[in-house]
Amino acid sequence: MLFDPNFIARLIPALLEGAEVTVELAVLTFLICLVWGLPVALMQAMRGPVAWIAGSYVQIVRNTPLLIQMYLIYFGLSMVGVPLSGFASGLLALCLQNGGYVAEIYRGGLQAVSARQYEAGRALGMRPWTLYTSVILPQMVARVIPPLTNQAISITKDTSQVAAIAVMDVMKISQVWVESSANTYDVFLGVALIYLTLTTIVSLVGRFAEQRLAFAA
Amino acid sequence: MKTFMPLINSYWYLFRGAGMTLMMAGTAVIPATLLGLLIAIAQIFGGRVSRSAIVTYLFVVRGIPLLVLLTFVYYLLPLTGIDLPPFWGVVLVLSVYYAAFMSEVFRAGILSLPRAQWDAAKSLGMTRHQMLQIVIFPQALRLAAPPFVSLCANLVKATSLVSIVGLWELTMASREVVERTLAPFQIFLAAAVLYFCICYSIAAYGKYLERRILVGH
Repeated sequence: MLFDPNFIARLIPALLEGAEVTVELAVLTFLICLVWGLPVALMQAMRGPVAWIAGSYVQIVRNTPLLIQMYLIYFGLSMVGVPLSGFASGLLALCLQNGGYVAEIYRGGLQAVSARQYEAGRALGMRPWTLYTSVILPQMVARVIPPLTNQAISITKDTSQVAAIAVMDVMKISQVWVESSANTYDVFLGVALIYLTLTTIVSLVGRFAEQRLAFAA
Repeated sequence: MKTFMPLINSYWYLFRGAGMTLMMAGTAVIPATLLGLLIAIAQIFGGRVSRSAIVTYLFVVRGIPLLVLLTFVYYLLPLTGIDLPPFWGVVLVLSVYYAAFMSEVFRAGILSLPRAQWDAAKSLGMTRHQMLQIVIFPQALRLAAPPFVSLCANLVKATSLVSIVGLWELTMASREVVERTLAPFQIFLAAAVLYFCICYSIAAYGKYLERRILVGH
């Protein structure tokens, strides 16, 4: 039966419990990637083997599916003696893959600041620290916020794949409820609404950050 | 050597899975591209009604994980009584989902042409149809080609999700082999290598196009 009130009353708390796991995964992944992307981007900007290693890392994680990475970590690592929980494997795979994307975003942001900005800063006699903090970084921040917002949205959606390694996120809970209740429409409407709400919040936060931080644009 | 026995015994099965992955992505990319082009054109030139319909569609598709839509179709199609083979159901979801991202790529290509191109075409007395066909599209599609190609690589990765709803392709094939051989690390690593070869070649072609096409920009 569609829109059965008794069913929905039991469904909502269950889905919200799953949504909590989804939010935890998404927030942790995004924060870790914000930090992890920076050394990767800086290593790519260097020369020699360091740049090669960072570059290969980015290419490998970006050109293989997240799902395979999760399987490799969850099933593969436990086979070779490093058993990780589903949540930890999912988080690790999400961070590895999205770290590669965030590094590329940082790299793009750095390259987009024109060389004349460096020259102008130096011509004014700025020290490297002043040059970076007051000229280069503000312009870079302005450029990376929109793509970072998109990445945060895509991270939020990607967390749904942890359902495949038995993490009880909102996706997995919905699958369990569909299979045990046959009330497919209600469950999927609920899941769709939860993901739409989460991604809308992310894009609103992104827009707010853009307005507040992108003063150099 | 013993470690890699499972792999040696089943490499052909994985290759066949990779073939299926390519076929699925290759089938989905055609309707996705056509639909994406249509949406981009309707969004730029359409009236208020079609534009707001498209904005709603983009909001929904970009805010909900692909996995949710795939599972939705998997459980719902039998209920609606539409007799669609699973392969075509999946192709349908993939193309509707990716059309949203394709349309953004095409729209960006069209909108990034300088205003002067439009003015020049108009001043030559071209009709709108001629203007689009002779001046705008040939240039806009060239600009859109590199991001289009990297979206195709993305689509190949996304096909891995259909294994969760029970379709057979590379990820499903590797899971089957793992269940038989209990060698998750080797098999999933091999699957990752196959995905990497496919996606990296596509991405490298995109990079090549970018260098060749964006010379003057």
